[in-house]
Amino acid sequence: MKFHLFKGIRILFLAVFSLMMIYPLYWLITSAFKTNKEFFARPHSFPTNFSFENFTRAWEVADLGTAMMNSTIVTITATALTVFLGALTAYVLSRFTFKLKAFLMVFFLLGMLIPIHSTLVPLFTMMDQIGLLDTYWALILPYTAFELPIAIFLTVAYMSSIPKELEEAAVIDGNGYWGVFFRIMLPLSVPALSTVAILSFLRYWNEFVFALVFINDSTLKTLPLSLSIFSDGFSTDYALTMAAMTIAVIPTIVMYLIFQEQIMKGMVAGSVKG
Amino acid sequence: MRKIKIAFLGIIMMFILTACIGNGDSKATKRSAADGKISISIWHNFAGDDLRARKVRNMIANFEEENPTIEVDEQAIPVDGYRQRISTVAAANELPDIFLTYAGSFTDEFYNGELIQPITSLFEENPEWKNSFLEGALEPYKYDGELYSAPIAMSATSFLYYNKDLFTANNLEVPETWAEFVQVIKVFNDKGITPIAMGNKAPWVAQSTTFGAIADRVTGTNWFLDAVEQEDASFTDPIFIDALHRFKELVDNGAYSDGANSMDNTQAEQYFAQGKAAMMINGAWTLSSLGASQSEQVLTNIGVSVVPGIEGGKGSGNTITGGPGGGFLLSSETKGEDKQAALKLIYKLSNADAQKEIAESNSMVMYDVDIDKENVNPLFFEAFNLIREVEFAPVYDLYLTSEAGEAVNNGLQEIMLGGDPEKVAESIQKAQSSN
Amino acid sequence: MQSNLKLKGLLVITLLPALLLYSFFVIIPIFWSSYYGFFEWSGLGDATYIGLQNYIDVMQSPVFWRSLKNNLIIVAASVFGQVPIALALALMLRKSNWFQIFVRSAVFLPMVISTVVVGLIWGYIYDPEIGVINTVLRAVGLESWTKAWLADPSVNMYAVAVPIIWNYIGPYLIIFIAAIQNIPSEMEEAAMIDGASGWKKLIYIILPNMWTTIKVAVVLCISGSLKAFDQVFVMTGGGPAESTEILATYMYNNTFLVYRYGYGSAVSTMIILLSLILIGISQVLMKRKNEGMTIR
Repeated sequence: MKFHLFKGIRILFLAVFSLMMIYPLYWLITSAFKTNKEFFARPHSFPTNFSFENFTRAWEVADLGTAMMNSTIVTITATALTVFLGALTAYVLSRFTFKLKAFLMVFFLLGMLIPIHSTLVPLFTMMDQIGLLDTYWALILPYTAFELPIAIFLTVAYMSSIPKELEEAAVIDGNGYWGVFFRIMLPLSVPALSTVAILSFLRYWNEFVFALVFINDSTLKTLPLSLSIFSDGFSTDYALTMAAMTIAVIPTIVMYLIFQEQIMKGMVAGSVKG
Repeated sequence: MRKIKIAFLGIIMMFILTACIGNGDSKATKRSAADGKISISIWHNFAGDDLRARKVRNMIANFEEENPTIEVDEQAIPVDGYRQRISTVAAANELPDIFLTYAGSFTDEFYNGELIQPITSLFEENPEWKNSFLEGALEPYKYDGELYSAPIAMSATSFLYYNKDLFTANNLEVPETWAEFVQVIKVFNDKGITPIAMGNKAPWVAQSTTFGAIADRVTGTNWFLDAVEQEDASFTDPIFIDALHRFKELVDNGAYSDGANSMDNTQAEQYFAQGKAAMMINGAWTLSSLGASQSEQVLTNIGVSVVPGIEGGKGSGNTITGGPGGGFLLSSETKGEDKQAALKLIYKLSNADAQKEIAESNSMVMYDVDIDKENVNPLFFEAFNLIREVEFAPVYDLYLTSEAGEAVNNGLQEIMLGGDPEKVAESIQKAQSSN
Repeated sequence: MQSNLKLKGLLVITLLPALLLYSFFVIIPIFWSSYYGFFEWSGLGDATYIGLQNYIDVMQSPVFWRSLKNNLIIVAASVFGQVPIALALALMLRKSNWFQIFVRSAVFLPMVISTVVVGLIWGYIYDPEIGVINTVLRAVGLESWTKAWLADPSVNMYAVAVPIIWNYIGPYLIIFIAAIQNIPSEMEEAAMIDGASGWKKLIYIILPNMWTTIKVAVVLCISGSLKAFDQVFVMTGGGPAESTEILATYMYNNTFLVYRYGYGSAVSTMIILLSLILIGISQVLMKRKNEGMTIR
């Protein structure tokens, strides 16, 4: 009896906790259907009618189509670059021994400690000088660079656990180092690499500060920037802001639902080796 | 599952390819028009969905239709990032041909940097247009006798809005003196009604809408202009500390709700419109945002006045902080037929028709224009008439250095949290004198 | 196998792209940043060399120290919030039935939402008038507990910390679940036979076996919360009256609001130094017996 009571409390606790985690998202989506007046007058209630007008207007006014396209290009290119470079570097760092290895490992891991904002001004000046500002590369390259440490960290841990025999067998089959990398290491590391991909995807898709400072041209703007368009410094159109935010969050939720299993597996695989 | 992943990979590859090929040009400088057309670029901040923004964008579109030989490259940048972006391209010498500016130190920078050229010829060709601007409208854009811009907006930052029903229900008159003002605040507070709605999360609000008007009434305009120049006046002068104490008096009497510092301006406006607060001191922008979001019934219940005068103060009681607002500037790099086309566009966006269009989108202008009562909201119409009868006083942060402006903003929030006016005055003085 | 020379060539070719990219965009800017710290510079126009003055000013600025204190509150809230909550959840979520999977997904869900959106939503949750917290308090008769959560300096720093905790429990939860699954089941069985159960099992078997993982989590947590910016920036912008200023917003406001680039750069250099010091301290504090763990 006591045991059942304990179990019941635990389930109740978990259920309430999950609702707390989900509530803000629920609030965002229901608010997106409200008019401005309803938003302020009845902030917690269910919307009175489900009209998609907010969404269509937000889409047009903020030019979310363009922003979505830009975000997709930047995010996917940077994610692909992160996964590839991360895997390549991790392959070398986990499978070979050489003099500078320990130093390089620490050198890369240092990057995990660096706040992205502390490099804003110098990066701005450096990219201005080489003419990178206002191009997709102004986001793709720094994004990748800042995500590399965690990508390497997760992938090295995973690759270290791949048995040496598999590698040797591949060499006997006539594979060089690259053959081993592409035929053995890369396919076997898919769980870790998909974690890296998901985490980078989420980070890049939502990144705001670099996008704010390094991109001026409105035709190159990514989604997080387009969300500020309904605020003119004096007043904010909340209905449209909420609608735009909902539109922006949908792709990440879809991504998450599709790859949810992979995320769990990859995290499990990559993180515990320490 | 597997298919999805393969498809996903395919998409990745596709985008890498398109990203490599299509990472297009992005400079602010003009793109040469291919077919012999004249191409001019214009940057502005009318990016949103409000009536005025749509009207301005429409005017630009019309201009292109009327002038098939001119191609306009238009960039509408959200207000939040506009200053930073313009400053950045100015530093890199890549300004567009025409760009929106704000009156005051922002424009001074461009003039001092020789980045802009006069448009005086436009005024000479259209004397009637020139004479229709309100008194003082062109002053901020006059350098060495030449005119550099025509304002298309008026900034008026300190109207006193009040809820007529709440005043009648409590047998109160709209306050005209400081003593009455404090009394009214006390009464509403006792009744459990927030006396003044304010959304000071972005901390410029208290400074721009309320404190500037109070300070001008206490110190007078000339003292402030001297203090800005740091000549014969300092922000630690007793007279300025007195002004800060007046603001503290409002706070101490519970004029503002506890959450005033975490509400944004829109929330405060809604709060006021819902009748939860009796008054609100806010700028002309409120006229258009309330006009867009509230019913006729709510709007007719709102009255508009000026901040009460202060007995014994050095300034006039009948002022509103504000003055000429933004206008378009012409880059000094624009020459020849490009310049002619650019002048034509500037005129199109600031001539009598344009001013009327803008005014009828519930936005104040610095131009003598008659508006049709039917075309605007009733609150705007009332304010539009009020503004003809008052004088302008300076808006603090348009004159102070950005550091001192921040010091005032933060200082007022400190006072709202129980801070000491003397200390606030010191930090303002320190910031202003450090440049 | 192939020659040594070929191996060296491979190492260079494979490491170089990542190394260059990383050095150019992450490491070099740090040095530039500390260098700009020696100048008085508004971002436009000329910079004047002023030696250590900016660094001295930073050290003497009360707001900097307040930002540091606030930032430490966030670090503490993250370390003592995210890690224990994630750990407790991990212990409760060791099965894979639909309910547990649902809870896990729910906990991870905030990760997919943009931090800007998180800040905005929580700004509304805290709203004194229409926010859900005060609404609920009023509904249950606790009117006196209602507060202007983000405006009242006595609570606003804690209010700001909650969304940051909320945002990042997910990844730690998953890391911990993985670590628990990796504990050899023989050890647990042996403990059961010895009569150890519940708390004893937790203290003597589970926690020691997870210690390495917990340490990794703490390091990630510290570095993550020192970098916190978006949520605070959106919710309060560091205000009112700089009462919720944290290091990153302090740096940002100085650099981009009042155009003191040199000073802002000096602040960023200090942030990096402080991060290193804090991580170092945490490593020393968590050092146990013969473990020679570094950040990996």
